[in-house]
Amino acid sequence: MEKVSFFDEIEKNRRNSIILASVVFLVLTSLVYVMAYSFVPEFSIFLLAFAVVFVTIYIYGTYNYGDSIVLSSVGAREVNENDKEYVHLFDVVDGLSIAAGIPRPKVYVIESDEMNAFATGKDAEHASIAVTTGLLEGLKRDELEGVIGHELSHIANYDIRFATLVAVMVGLIAILSDIMLRGWRFRTGEEREEKGGAGLLILIGLLLAIFSPLLVRLVQFAISRKREFLADASSAKLTRYPEGLASALEKIMKVNEGNMKVNEAVSHLFFVDPNKSSLDILYATHPPIKERIKLLRAM
Amino acid sequence: MWWVIPLAILAVLVLVAIFYVNKISVLSNRIDNAWSQIDVQLKKRVDLVPNLVETVKGYMAHEKDALRMVTEARKSMMGASDLKSRMKAEGELTRALKTILALSENYPRLKANENFMLLQEQLEGIENRVAYARQFYNDSVLSFNNTITTLPGKWFAGLVGKSSPKEYFEIGEEERKPVEVKF
Repeated sequence: MEKVSFFDEIEKNRRNSIILASVVFLVLTSLVYVMAYSFVPEFSIFLLAFAVVFVTIYIYGTYNYGDSIVLSSVGAREVNENDKEYVHLFDVVDGLSIAAGIPRPKVYVIESDEMNAFATGKDAEHASIAVTTGLLEGLKRDELEGVIGHELSHIANYDIRFATLVAVMVGLIAILSDIMLRGWRFRTGEEREEKGGAGLLILIGLLLAIFSPLLVRLVQFAISRKREFLADASSAKLTRYPEGLASALEKIMKVNEGNMKVNEAVSHLFFVDPNKSSLDILYATHPPIKERIKLLRAM
Repeated sequence: MWWVIPLAILAVLVLVAIFYVNKISVLSNRIDNAWSQIDVQLKKRVDLVPNLVETVKGYMAHEKDALRMVTEARKSMMGASDLKSRMKAEGELTRALKTILALSENYPRLKANENFMLLQEQLEGIENRVAYARQFYNDSVLSFNNTITTLPGKWFAGLVGKSSPKEYFEIGEEERKPVEVKF
């Protein structure tokens, strides 16, 4: 077995997070500026300054509190290690954290019959892992170890930071774009013609509004699919037993109906897609389970 | 301008040296950290032993040998100072505890004892963590040894006095044998 080395992955995720934050910063401030310029040109500079401050605070807040936002948005509740009911779970999380060389994350439980799990946080020292009650009830120990190992790998290689940033930042971009599109549609034709020079800006704003959610979706799907395979492989390295994870995936494939109804913006954080996607394969945030099982069995 | 080239080469060499020296020291620190992870679990286990002996004594008074084995293993565990002797004592304690747990199968009343059940569960949990801690330790040793025995890491390991490979935490021969239970 090769060395357990998350260094390169951590570096990659650090870089991606910085790029993401910069892109979001630019997109948001320019969105605000374009909006301001098309509606109230006289205040646009003032509004731009306001936007810069607001977006900076927003990104800082997302970085530090994104995990709490995600956890509460899916209704996860923290559990205590002295709780008899979860001795088993803590045993598994504890052991595998030691194997991965990271501090034990905080442990959360989500009430749901669906089998799923996710991890979030800004780094390994401030990480949380959440599992559904369905997962705890339905899986045997070695299967649970496989799933937990997968999530702990996401923590150890800092996938969680980038994925959480994507999840929380997506929300605002989508909302802002919505507001902008609606505002623009309410304007009458005459008004638009008066401001001939603003036409181009409005067009750019419109394009941004249409494409920004789409762009973020594309980022989302580009990162997570590759990440999932990598985390599966790292999980097998931690547990030394790929079959545990493979059989967990098989069970999940049979049991899950994909009706967890979590926000689309956080769905890519989960172990398997929590919502049955009606969108085509291009937008799927997760690789097909069958493919994951096949790769695990080939290890 | 001829001096630019040797200067650039020197700069690159210095950067590479810094990179490897740092890497070697990070990897070596990780081994120390891994060892302390094992140590934490072993201490927890040692702390459980008196409690276990106390609980078990009343039920399996004839199994003096097994009980003595545990107590002695605990003693040598606490007396062991260097890595090697600790590893050895750890193996002994593991074996002794396994024997006790295996023997407990013959004492239904003991097995029904709530305190014993709790201890057994805790021991199993710790055993599991020790196994993972050992795995992390060996993984860390592997990546350290790989770095200092391959080029160019080998050249720089000598610079910081870390050129000797670290030892793996092997499972002792005795531990691999199944536990013998005499009736």
